Amino acid sequence: MDLSIPLINSLTLGSLYTLMALGLTMSFSVTKIANFAHAELVTIGGYVTALLVNWMGYGLGESLIAAFFASALLAVAMDEGVFKPMIKRGSKPLFLLVASIGIGLVVRYLLFIYADLNAVITVQAKTNVQLIGRFGRAGITTIHLWVFPITIVSVVLLHLMFHYTKPGKALRAMADNEDLARVSGVKIYTLRRLMWFIAGGITGVAGGLWSAYSVITPEIGWYALLRIFAASILGGLVSFWGTIAGGLIVGFAENFGITFMNTYFNVSTAYRPLISFVIIVIVLLLKPTGFAGFDIVGWLKEKVKGGGE
Amino acid sequence: MQIEFLASYMPIFTSFIVLFAIYLIAALSLNMEYGYGGIPNFGHVFFISVGAYMAGVLTARTVDYIAGIKAGYCSGQASVLRTEYLSSHPMEAVGIFVASLVLGAIIGGLFGYAASYPALRLKEDFLAITLIFIGDMGRIIARNEEGIVCALTGLTGIANPLSFVKDVGTRSIAYALIVVAFAVLTYIYVQRLAKSPFGRLLKAVRDDDLAAMALGKVVPRVRGEVMVIGSALAAVAGVLRTFYIQGVVADDFQPLITFLVLTMVILGGMANNKGVILGTLIMTALDQFISPSFLSLLGISVEFDVTYMKYIIIGLIIILVLMFRPQGAIPEGPVETPALELSKSSEWDVEEKLEIGGEEERSPSG
Repeated sequence: MDLSIPLINSLTLGSLYTLMALGLTMSFSVTKIANFAHAELVTIGGYVTALLVNWMGYGLGESLIAAFFASALLAVAMDEGVFKPMIKRGSKPLFLLVASIGIGLVVRYLLFIYADLNAVITVQAKTNVQLIGRFGRAGITTIHLWVFPITIVSVVLLHLMFHYTKPGKALRAMADNEDLARVSGVKIYTLRRLMWFIAGGITGVAGGLWSAYSVITPEIGWYALLRIFAASILGGLVSFWGTIAGGLIVGFAENFGITFMNTYFNVSTAYRPLISFVIIVIVLLLKPTGFAGFDIVGWLKEKVKGGGE
Repeated sequence: MQIEFLASYMPIFTSFIVLFAIYLIAALSLNMEYGYGGIPNFGHVFFISVGAYMAGVLTARTVDYIAGIKAGYCSGQASVLRTEYLSSHPMEAVGIFVASLVLGAIIGGLFGYAASYPALRLKEDFLAITLIFIGDMGRIIARNEEGIVCALTGLTGIANPLSFVKDVGTRSIAYALIVVAFAVLTYIYVQRLAKSPFGRLLKAVRDDDLAAMALGKVVPRVRGEVMVIGSALAAVAGVLRTFYIQGVVADDFQPLITFLVLTMVILGGMANNKGVILGTLIMTALDQFISPSFLSLLGISVEFDVTYMKYIIIGLIIILVLMFRPQGAIPEGPVETPALELSKSSEWDVEEKLEIGGEEERSPSG
């Protein structure tokens, strides 16, 4: 059995899931909202990229920047418009989750109407894809040259931001204990906005890359959401490094798992989503903290404690 | 003149009533689990679909066996033969209908019991995430397996139990009455359950499971029980739906159905069955009347698929209700106990007495 094609597919999809899940991990760890409208950030990013490339003739780079801003603004609007007022009224976390489903429905079906009117229900960014090299039987194309570096750069930048800048450290303090952060002089609402902006933006870029990688529909975000949650939950919904491991595990488990099951047990490839679902259930039931060992925040907390004594 | 006018609108009216009653059963069962029990069963559509598949599979397999239909399980010919057989054998048709309801409720309850395993162990929002995806996984399995409901084509020929009645109008009204009877029974049942000690226990567990446990209540058992009851009722709604549309297609059970039912509960008022009736009425009207067929009846045509509008409105209702009136149209009432009755009557002003008692307790110095 030749494994080069599933390997490259797993790496690509794993990177995309990682990028999407980083935003969810960020917003969940800071606000404690299980944001189902996160799916729509992916979709909007994908559509902005695809339409700018196809209709306006922009390059992929410029379109991805536009996708970053579109999804970032949508994320900030969600928080300012719905989540923040609800939290100020003392809503329960579960109500915020349900409200995020509502936001998701509104955005997704507005996009459906737009796509229906403009005949872009299925669309792919027509970029100039060239084969650069071969890895076994799998081709390495220019898309891969976009996906891998962007993922690595985002992860490194996020790590630097959260560990070496003041807003990043303050965000980690907020994730730990919002009230304590507030009395310590952290401007929590400004920071929240910054967090949503970055989380939304990264997710939008991931959606844009996806639209260059394969065909998207207004439901692509919902389709990806299961994997995004699986990746984030593997990271315990708090840890960046755990999320990266989670994204890659989900990518590999899906591609190798389904190839394996299909070859030896004749299982239909349509059951691919079940693998992510099983990951979610197993992790939540057996080890709800995900990769606690990779938990940078927890590790730092211990380090700080150790230094204090 | 007027009678003719009414007669032309009768099918719309009966279909509205049937769907309203089916949604009402589904919404009341979700209200039992989420409103009273505090278990966010957002995979509700899965339990509805279990009943729907159950009815389809049981009817098709049984009729194929009794009538000796050799045409393939999923073939169109088999579907025609099944309908013919059921419309000429009223006893068997009604028998299979009753058996489907009983078995559907049992299987739905079993699945509910299985789902209560994570429900006892996960935090509220993680549980909601898991259950939302459970709902979609059931659909993915059903739409890829030929043996359940014929994958994407769907299982057909599940004739209405009353298909021996030749007149279509009479038949649909009679079936509507049966479904409404089930909805009324469900309402009476959940209402009695809510006012029973079990209902109070549910609320206690929902509001503070630690306190309930400290009072010696077995919290996991209570949650398991309410999941079984709720899922069995949801499955009954599914069975009634399958016999109404005379077939079952896996892709009808999208997660959106859960969100529609959830909107009914949230809009009407959680833990308030009267509110749920109101919510269901509004949402069913929305569901029925924002559809291409109804709008074309009114002579309105739009460029895009109007069902998109429906989901946008559902989303807006969810957001606005949760933001501005999270308790719903009719808020949850106080727990109805004899003590409440007493406090309402003018002779016994319990609150005043309690206040006096409170002061007396404080006054003696230790």
